[in-house]
Amino acid sequence: MKALMSLGALVGILGLLLLGGMTLDVVPSNTVRLVEGYMPMQLLFEVGCYVLGFTGLSYILNAMGMAIPRFWQGIGFWAFFILYLKYRVYPPIPFSVRAMYGTVGLVCVFMWVSANEEDWQKFKQPILNVLDAQTGMNKMLRYAFLALIPVLMWGFSYNAMMPKSEEPIELRTVHPAPPASTKVHGKTYTLQTSQNPYRVNPEGKYDQEYSNANIVEQSMGRLMKPNANPWGENSQGYLKYVREGGEIFFQNCHFCHGDNLNGRGLHAFAFNPIPANFTDPGTIAQLQETFIFWRVAKGGVGLPNEGFPWASVMPPWEQHLTADEMWKVILFEYWHTGYYPRTWD
Amino acid sequence: MNSVTRKAGVFASTAFGVILMSSNAGVALAQGGLPEGFQKGELPAEPSAEMLEAGKRVYFTKCVWCHGVDGAGDGPGADRLWPRPRNFNQGTFKIRHTASGELPLFDPKKPISGQNDLFDTVTHGLPGSAMPPWEGILTEEQRLQVLSFVTKELVKDRSFQDKASETQTVLQLASLKPKPATEESIQRGKELIVEKKCIECHGVEGRGDGNAFNLKDDWGFSIQPADWHKCWNFRGSRQDPYNVANIFRTFSTGVNGTPMPSFADTTSVDDRWDIANFVNSLCERNAEGNPLPIDPLTDKPKINFVIPSDLVEGEIPADIEAEAWQKAPRRYVAMGGQITHKPRNFVNRIDDIWVRSLYNEKSIAYLVEWDDRTKSVAEGSLPWGPTEVNIDVTEQEPRTGEEGSIAAKQNNYDVYNDAIAIETPVKWKELPAPIKPRYLFGTNEQFPVDIVKWEADGSLRAFLGTGWDQDFQQRDTYEESMKLLKAEWKNGRWYVMMERPLGNKKDQDYDEDTFFEVGQYIPTVFFAWDGHNGDAGRKMAVSAFYYTFMNPPIPEETYIYPVVIAIGVVFLEGWVLTRRANRKKGKTL
Repeated sequence: MKALMSLGALVGILGLLLLGGMTLDVVPSNTVRLVEGYMPMQLLFEVGCYVLGFTGLSYILNAMGMAIPRFWQGIGFWAFFILYLKYRVYPPIPFSVRAMYGTVGLVCVFMWVSANEEDWQKFKQPILNVLDAQTGMNKMLRYAFLALIPVLMWGFSYNAMMPKSEEPIELRTVHPAPPASTKVHGKTYTLQTSQNPYRVNPEGKYDQEYSNANIVEQSMGRLMKPNANPWGENSQGYLKYVREGGEIFFQNCHFCHGDNLNGRGLHAFAFNPIPANFTDPGTIAQLQETFIFWRVAKGGVGLPNEGFPWASVMPPWEQHLTADEMWKVILFEYWHTGYYPRTWD
Repeated sequence: MNSVTRKAGVFASTAFGVILMSSNAGVALAQGGLPEGFQKGELPAEPSAEMLEAGKRVYFTKCVWCHGVDGAGDGPGADRLWPRPRNFNQGTFKIRHTASGELPLFDPKKPISGQNDLFDTVTHGLPGSAMPPWEGILTEEQRLQVLSFVTKELVKDRSFQDKASETQTVLQLASLKPKPATEESIQRGKELIVEKKCIECHGVEGRGDGNAFNLKDDWGFSIQPADWHKCWNFRGSRQDPYNVANIFRTFSTGVNGTPMPSFADTTSVDDRWDIANFVNSLCERNAEGNPLPIDPLTDKPKINFVIPSDLVEGEIPADIEAEAWQKAPRRYVAMGGQITHKPRNFVNRIDDIWVRSLYNEKSIAYLVEWDDRTKSVAEGSLPWGPTEVNIDVTEQEPRTGEEGSIAAKQNNYDVYNDAIAIETPVKWKELPAPIKPRYLFGTNEQFPVDIVKWEADGSLRAFLGTGWDQDFQQRDTYEESMKLLKAEWKNGRWYVMMERPLGNKKDQDYDEDTFFEVGQYIPTVFFAWDGHNGDAGRKMAVSAFYYTFMNPPIPEETYIYPVVIAIGVVFLEGWVLTRRANRKKGKTL
């Protein structure tokens, strides 16, 4: 048990050192890059390791008679978490997301310190001690706080009232509700019943199982299955159409959505909102193919009213491509990201 | 072999030391025939058959789409790109540590930055081209695999392992300490770029405007010299654009396949650092002279979407050197190709503009500066009216082959006017908070946009946009109230300063003109046309929605309320303490 805890303590110290280095810019935060698409899992795993590490550390310190009060443990862990989000996570995440994670972290810490009456007492004791000011030290602290809080409040409110020209925050419906049907090149497609006409096996039959078996592997790099090369001479059916879809993608779409379909194309840096990242599990992975077909065909101009702020530069692809070409591009996007389209049932 | 290398190294370093000490360096050939700062290197080992097989799988998933089945740079995406994707067959690679004409460093077993050029290229991408960084997408192993496949199977005219025909002369960049960028060093570099004739291609101010038309790469495609003011677009910037070592490397080794030669034989290491320091000093910096923060997601400068406008008393100065303009914050506005509607602009040659703004009680002025290698003014009158946007400019067919590709057509377009336009919605206050008008040229008659457009023929016009597919309507009475304060093209850069009325409900046409209100976020879009790129009508570069924000004078409440709040907090503290004290005494309040 002790050995295990020592190991945990080592991990904890190592983590603290690493984060310290990253905060002070000694260790680059991209030393271990988080992998796109797997980032939340990696994050959770790492933080989990740290929690275990800190448990070990606190156990060892306890055994050595240098226990850290519960109050400081709670505050310390929250501070660690905030710094971790800011300095470790690479590529960096925006402040709004960090604030959200930070709040969740705070709630977790709070739940932990107030798990039972005894712990809660231990946690709030330092605060009460300062309030009561029985010792000289606490007295000084109390006066310091008494003076500091009004000054801080003055500073914050002054800062908040000073006219600023920060970018206004805009909310956006990422996936607006689709219509029941959409008319493209004179043909009406009912979104609930339409199917991608190119999701077919070599015999030409609609075959979701066949196509799902031939998409890229959902592992590092998202590479094609060794025996399912769309560029193979004998590729038929699904794979042949994937290749044709890819050709259209790389003549039209990659400028914004990127060579790896991650929304980082050549022109992407100029646009806001940034182009959709198809490798993110929150985009095409949770949508039906017909939904994509509707969005592709109608583009930013075709967004319904709840899809504001209408700043999208997504072309209405019906102006540039035939319906067949659009279906093939959609086929390619699912192949290349390794996601299965969501089905209606 | 090893001892020879070591000897060469000793020679090189002595030569380096000698040159450091002597101020007049002159020609800097180290002994043994190697250029200064270089050492002989070894050819890499052959990659294993498994690596080739694995690499093929990576190639046909990720790379084939642009680089083509045979690696000839002719994949389905190639014809709409400029620069075109690399043709691997000849073994010509741009960014290297090796001497001019040699193959780049590649070792399938050594994923070490600075010792493996092709690995670095795949890892960091080539900014300013469509080649993205593959770090975080492909593992290190996968990157080495695909490079093994490319170098072994797709480089056809040369061999990375052929000792009989290939040599490696490697720039020892890691052991050459950069010279501090002192003022003397930068000044010396400034003189050297004239002496070494750098300015003949890169231009007097280094904006790549020196020889913008006649340069061709090895495959006969038009090519343009680098713009030193946009270091984040340097192909060899390795996601570290302000690092002077990258410039030193490119200058020392040259860029294979392009007219950029290696200067290693003719320029001492010391002089090369001076030049690199000078070129690096030209890259855009902020008001304090520090490098611009780079967005790690785009590898371009970070964007602030608010364009602040400061109040000036009296007339808005027309001189950029005037104090008000010098103090006005500059904003980097990123520009992408307009690829929403036809004719689409896949290759926009203007990829950013810099905007400043000032206002007084009657007008607002924008100062727009952008790099454009050529001043373009249409000869004679254009075949369409100024209000027409649905004009017949042909768009690139998806597949045309090399002869019909964008790269082949570059610099052969009909020349139209360079132009810039500022679009603001007319009734932006009536749109509920997050809603903006449609992106391009407004939504409809009900929510139109106000477009002010300057063209290189000297015209400054005002239009009304009522939808992407509608021609502009001219607001003819408005033009008299606008003023073109300045329009000048100098050494590869346009400086255009336009002034327009702020507008108000009383005197202006509420259905046509935007009202600029102090302290409000006014959605603003910029459009730019490069006349030598055949840009006209909807073939143009576009920005995202930015905001013009006219900084209000600071209201008095800002000084009063915080004090009131602070006093309130003091009372609150007193209450809490009394309450606590009473509670301990057993009293309840």
